[in-house]
Amino acid sequence: MIDIIISMMAGWVTIAKWEFFRSKLKFDARSLILLALSLLLLIGASYMAAQTGMNMNNDMYRVTLTNPALEPVLGIDQRFNVMTVDVNTASNMYATDADLVIIDPNVFMADTQKSASASEALKSTLKNYREGVLTSYNDINNTHPVWVTIHYLERPEAFQVLSGERRRASEEDGATTQLSPEEIEAAAPGGRIAGEIGAGATQKRPQTAQELQTIQTRNLFEKQTIATPSHFAPPIPFTAILYSFLFIFPIYFVSQFYSSSIMDERTNKKCELVLVAPLRGADIVIGKTVPYLLVTMAIIAIVIAYIKGLPTDIVTIKSSLLILATMFPIVLLFFAFSFISAILSRSFKELTFAMVFLSVVVSGYLFFPAMFANVHAISTISPMTLIVLLIEGDTINMGEYIFSTLPFYFVGLSVFVFGTYIFREEDLFTQKPITQKLLDCVEIFLSNPYGSVFLLSIIFIPFVYMAQLMLIVMLFNLPLPYSVIVMIVLAALIEELVKSIGIYTLFKRKMVVLTLKNAATLAILAGAGFFAGEKLLVIITLAPIATSVFGSVMTMGTLLLIPLMIHIIGVMVVSLGMYAINPRWYLPFVLFASVLHGLYNLFILRGILFG
Amino acid sequence: MADHRSNMTLSPRIVALIAKKEYREVMHEKTFILSVLIQLFIASFSTFLVIGLTSFYDPTALGELDMGSTKIAVVGNNESELYLLLQNSDLSPILYSEFSDAYTAFYDRKVDAILIIPEGPPDGYEILDIDIYLPRSDLKATLVSLQLKEPLEKFEQSVRDIRTKRVSGYTPLDLNIVERKTKTSSTYFEFLYVALLPLLVFTPAFISGGLVVDFITEEFERKTIDLLLVSPISLFDVISGKVLLATIIAPVQAFAWVILLMMNGIVIHNVVTILLLVLVVAMILVLVSGIISVMFKERGMAQLFYSLILIFLFMISYLFTNSPMNLVTRLSIQSIGGLETIVWLGGYSLLAVVLYGGLLKVVERE
Repeated sequence: MIDIIISMMAGWVTIAKWEFFRSKLKFDARSLILLALSLLLLIGASYMAAQTGMNMNNDMYRVTLTNPALEPVLGIDQRFNVMTVDVNTASNMYATDADLVIIDPNVFMADTQKSASASEALKSTLKNYREGVLTSYNDINNTHPVWVTIHYLERPEAFQVLSGERRRASEEDGATTQLSPEEIEAAAPGGRIAGEIGAGATQKRPQTAQELQTIQTRNLFEKQTIATPSHFAPPIPFTAILYSFLFIFPIYFVSQFYSSSIMDERTNKKCELVLVAPLRGADIVIGKTVPYLLVTMAIIAIVIAYIKGLPTDIVTIKSSLLILATMFPIVLLFFAFSFISAILSRSFKELTFAMVFLSVVVSGYLFFPAMFANVHAISTISPMTLIVLLIEGDTINMGEYIFSTLPFYFVGLSVFVFGTYIFREEDLFTQKPITQKLLDCVEIFLSNPYGSVFLLSIIFIPFVYMAQLMLIVMLFNLPLPYSVIVMIVLAALIEELVKSIGIYTLFKRKMVVLTLKNAATLAILAGAGFFAGEKLLVIITLAPIATSVFGSVMTMGTLLLIPLMIHIIGVMVVSLGMYAINPRWYLPFVLFASVLHGLYNLFILRGILFG
Repeated sequence: MADHRSNMTLSPRIVALIAKKEYREVMHEKTFILSVLIQLFIASFSTFLVIGLTSFYDPTALGELDMGSTKIAVVGNNESELYLLLQNSDLSPILYSEFSDAYTAFYDRKVDAILIIPEGPPDGYEILDIDIYLPRSDLKATLVSLQLKEPLEKFEQSVRDIRTKRVSGYTPLDLNIVERKTKTSSTYFEFLYVALLPLLVFTPAFISGGLVVDFITEEFERKTIDLLLVSPISLFDVISGKVLLATIIAPVQAFAWVILLMMNGIVIHNVVTILLLVLVVAMILVLVSGIISVMFKERGMAQLFYSLILIFLFMISYLFTNSPMNLVTRLSIQSIGGLETIVWLGGYSLLAVVLYGGLLKVVERE
């Protein structure tokens, strides 16, 4: 038994070793030196850029002054292009060559957007200047007499993710339980443990000007707990994007190499020899993938150590491992997309564009919801939100982990499986159209003894789920009734397409005789499969967003029988259509079925849409 | 193999032919459509940022939007100046005498924040501590903070007016801004012209750089370059043709973006100059990636180095005024003089010429 396992493993391990050492060899001395050099340059440039405050808004407003004493005041803001002239010239320049004309003590502006924006900028600059001057006096009680302490208190949310109540790592008990009278007493401003409730105010009010300055140069990743009203800032979740970039750049680079390596096997038919060897396609795929996966995870581990510091205590180790565990499905999905792009593309250009497109889409899926980390429950659809929470010191529970990563695992793994199906000579080395290769995947799946259109529909559910969530994100910026209408139509189109693709393949590839009975049975199977998968998904994941308008588009409420009927009817239209005319009429019938499906959904949602 | 001289000759007719061939392939593979899709996605990402984020996180951007008045619990003296300021703000404060009552109301979601009014007098010597209790992980926390900021700042100002008189040698700087009819949020305005517009017009240039890597390395990896070189076509012809096509498609796409933005009512000045700048920058990027591709001849490596250099260039453009991004901003809102524009545009063109020389050198070595 053991030796069978070893011999099964040996195949992909050999490939993996080979891949690892060969791709290492690609980095000859010259490339390594150049790589080190450009990385150094990059780090240097990033460091210098960070020093300047990362602004590209230099000299965007033109300001004319009459009082030279104001020059240093405006000089602290790079947005102003300042010119000092005498009063006569200044009054002539008003509203023509300058956005703001400052003839002490009046500031004149033109009636344009740009001038209005410049005056806003001026106000904030004056405020910064005032704060700077006051801080220099070292007399806090008189210069900074008012301080705000911010406490965060738990209370029941309008949205709750499963049973996943947010908890602080330091707190053991469930945090959304109401405080007892004693605890209220303690939380009240008199009681000094006020800060410990909720966010934990670790910062202390400064006593000297030096301390004042250090408290104001707050780390980007820290939450504000104490501030003067002028420095009081609402929590901005931009940090999420920063993390996403830090984590996703390495994935993007490595997946470039990965896809190149797969493509490499195809160009000049290099892979032919390997395919002739007594190895299964899966061995080659796993062997070629594992080294890149390992390298990426190693790089991510380094990034985590950079953000969180070296793991020394048990809490840091745990959260670092959790971050790794959350990143893994993301890496898997990126690699799955690179893999399938490399197999389907006919040229390097096509590969690049397909990869950029898929990366942008996946990044969008990760970024958008994560922006609302700590703000809205829908943000947990993105694993990036979990990472933000972990970095901020929260813990996550199993339910949340499954909720946001399950679609990634499913889609990633099934893409790999479908890709492995067509990892064979006739698909790798021919210039077959992409659609034909995709149909090959479906065909091989269906010719498997366990493959059926019922199962195929279920397998496609996570794809549909991710695609529809992506639609929500993309349609977010259309005004409300339209965004839901477009969403309904596109969502229906995606569903009809995946439900009927199996039947189309069966008929088109002549795997099943085109009879009325077959067409009807298959339609019922595919529709029922989709319905079953959809309901399963609702139970697992959709609970938290099912209550929003978009959620109800996807789940269509709690009705059971009618959705089953509509799913079957949709496929039936396509299936019978192909039977009646010709499988070549597939696409028009899918469109027709989508319209029907969309109209039905619109009918159900009419209340929400039209008042 | 072609001899040394024929490697270097340049025939405009052949360059155009190569460019045409690449153009046909790009169109045939529908990669161009994918590229437009990518850009559309970035655009929707950006508009999402503009509409979503600036309105969520910038109170002034919310000016026109009626957020409704948020109810907050206030514990303390109802004659305090802070309470009066809160009453005159967008918030509706409800006075509670006990913290525990306020907490119950907060827990039952009747109010969205609790504010404790400090007891000390404004003209005293001790610091006035305001405690604010916000709901965790809730959009309300952000909205309430935004609405609280103004009354809090006013309160700080009024206390300062009294207390800073005790600070010797401090005179507040007072400028009287004469307001006009047009109102806009500088966050929104700057996002539009500093981030969105430059990003959109340069994305085609970034893509063109990547495209050229594929154009060139593909010929090397598929060994089709050998076939081309046996014919009377020089390597420099082939490379130049690819560079030419990748460069000229950038401003065409950028122009489409400018039109789209203009249709959305965004005023953009100096469009021709901006497109010229996009052309020059695309040329710089395409030449850089061309040099990299000829040096490495391998897609993975070349893409890696191109990306690294692209990020490097992006980073250094933070360092100086009139970087290409900054130049687009200043041109689009008429904040730059004619002479300055010509000097910088000329400078960038010169860089492109130098890089073309560099490409020539690299090809010569082959």
